[in-house]
Amino acid sequence: MSNFLKLISNELKKIYVVKSTWIMYIVLAVIIVGTGILNNTVGDIQNSYESDSWRTQLEEENANLTQEMEDETYLETYNSMVIEQNNYYLENDIQPSGYGAWHFIMENKMLLSLVSLLTIIVAAGIIANEFRWGTIKLLLIRPISRTKILISKYVSVLLFALFTLLFVLIFSGITGAILFGIEGMNPYTLLEKNGSLEYVSVIGEIISGYGYQLIILLMMATFAFMISSVFRNSALAIGLAIFLMFVGNQIVFFFAERSWAKYILFANTDLSQYADGNTPFIEGMTLGFSITMLLIYYIVFMLLAWIFFTKRDVAGN
Amino acid sequence: MSEAAMELVDVRKTIGKKEIIKGLSFTIQKGEVFGFIGPNGAGKTTTIRMMVGLMKLTDGDVLIQGNSIKSNYKEAVREVGAIVENPEMYPFMTGEQNLAHYARMIPGITKDRIKEVVEIVGLEKAMKEKVGRYSLGMRQRLGIAQALLHKPSILILDEPTNGLDPAGIREIRRYIRKLAEENNVAVIISSHLLSEIELMCDRIGIIKNGELVATQQVHENVATDNLMQVKIEVSPSEKAIEILKTEFKIQAALEGANLLFQLEKEKIPEVINVFVKHDISVYQVSITKASLEDKFFDLIGENTIE
Repeated sequence: MSNFLKLISNELKKIYVVKSTWIMYIVLAVIIVGTGILNNTVGDIQNSYESDSWRTQLEEENANLTQEMEDETYLETYNSMVIEQNNYYLENDIQPSGYGAWHFIMENKMLLSLVSLLTIIVAAGIIANEFRWGTIKLLLIRPISRTKILISKYVSVLLFALFTLLFVLIFSGITGAILFGIEGMNPYTLLEKNGSLEYVSVIGEIISGYGYQLIILLMMATFAFMISSVFRNSALAIGLAIFLMFVGNQIVFFFAERSWAKYILFANTDLSQYADGNTPFIEGMTLGFSITMLLIYYIVFMLLAWIFFTKRDVAGN
Repeated sequence: MSEAAMELVDVRKTIGKKEIIKGLSFTIQKGEVFGFIGPNGAGKTTTIRMMVGLMKLTDGDVLIQGNSIKSNYKEAVREVGAIVENPEMYPFMTGEQNLAHYARMIPGITKDRIKEVVEIVGLEKAMKEKVGRYSLGMRQRLGIAQALLHKPSILILDEPTNGLDPAGIREIRRYIRKLAEENNVAVIISSHLLSEIELMCDRIGIIKNGELVATQQVHENVATDNLMQVKIEVSPSEKAIEILKTEFKIQAALEGANLLFQLEKEKIPEVINVFVKHDISVYQVSITKASLEDKFFDLIGENTIE
């Protein structure tokens, strides 16, 4: 077992010793700080509401927003949405929690597509690069089965995804706390769900929002890993995986009328379609069906990666 | 000396419909330095890749210390240290990091052992440098260091002196001989530089078009070299041929005015003496020593790739 941990530590070292990995993290950090600063300066975010005067604060806000809307018509949609939210607080007599680190983390869930992207790049390279560098030969002539080496590489990809995810969460939290402060231990917020406003826990939203995205990340990283193993070409693996990640939904919409559309991977990757009140892409699909489909795809990807990695000769370039 | 370190049993490899390796069988003894030579495309690298399990055998088997590379891969490959083709390392890591990487893959390699192999190949000063900045010679040394880490009983080196300067070649050569003689390591060296092989190896195997054309003891070669190729200009030549046949039982060939035949060096004066006694004029005597290179080209003929 310790032998296996050493293999993983080898793989992680190879990922993190490369400068481009650190550049990825720097880019992530810059984006997080950038959106934070943008939110702080451009958006007029009320950081906190006093317990005795929050009603007047909200009313003032509404008045300002209405004024603004009359002057600048393009702000209408956004402002009326905020007004609606404020009215909800007033009507239900709830003191809003204000904007803080938790909200910031929740809004940064879109950064997970960037984490997916970076994970795809790592997954695509982890086998193919060994072939490109020629180091695969020295790697495989050790008393370790190819299966074990393959698993160590796959686990390393997942660990990279986990570390990067944690980086986004923690760095967003720190940036949010510095720029906006912390809005309490378990803040609630208003989110629009199925056309009406709902008062929900921010932490709950963070967990479900990030969670749904993680499924897509896992599937696409595994796909890139499989392509990397089958074709031994990282550019192809990166290109295909990223392309599919972005057009996946369009593919589903394009074929939505066909009876087999529900078997397409991308019809099943977004499990939030089964969350309360949402309607699935294609009628008749259930959560159980999607999970089964995802499992089948996952097993097929892993099997292909394994067969090609362990059974094929390592021949000259 | 007589124990087999590696045994190839009728090894065959077919890729597509083409048979690349057509039944190789040979044995490499412990403590032996075996030279593996042949023209480009003969199948040297394919054979080496099969020896270390990078390529599967279509038929036959490779036994390493009795363990089959097919059915007992881990035990077999544990005994092997190798460089296959170029000594490719991770260019973005230092020499030290590269060695540590491979050391982690086999249990029981200590920091002291890493230090030891670095000293053996003389790379102490370059350990903190990124391999991407290494010269070919330095990478070759690091490749050898990597192959030695786990004290293998079989060392397979593909073109090990490639990129080394003359001093480096001599150093590595001396080290390979030492490994074989003192540590009883079997060393397999592939090369196309015959003079190189001649100096380093005990025995050579010549491969052509996927077949082993010949194996030959290098030192035996030196021993039989007592038998010289003698070229002698005499007249009348017919009479000389006759005398060689009757007195020395030697079949001589006539080439222009010269007689060609094989003879031990010590007997040359005697032959001349006899010729003189029989009133045969001797104008010129020369001897040529057939080199390994001539034999190589005799054996492989044209450098053709099927």
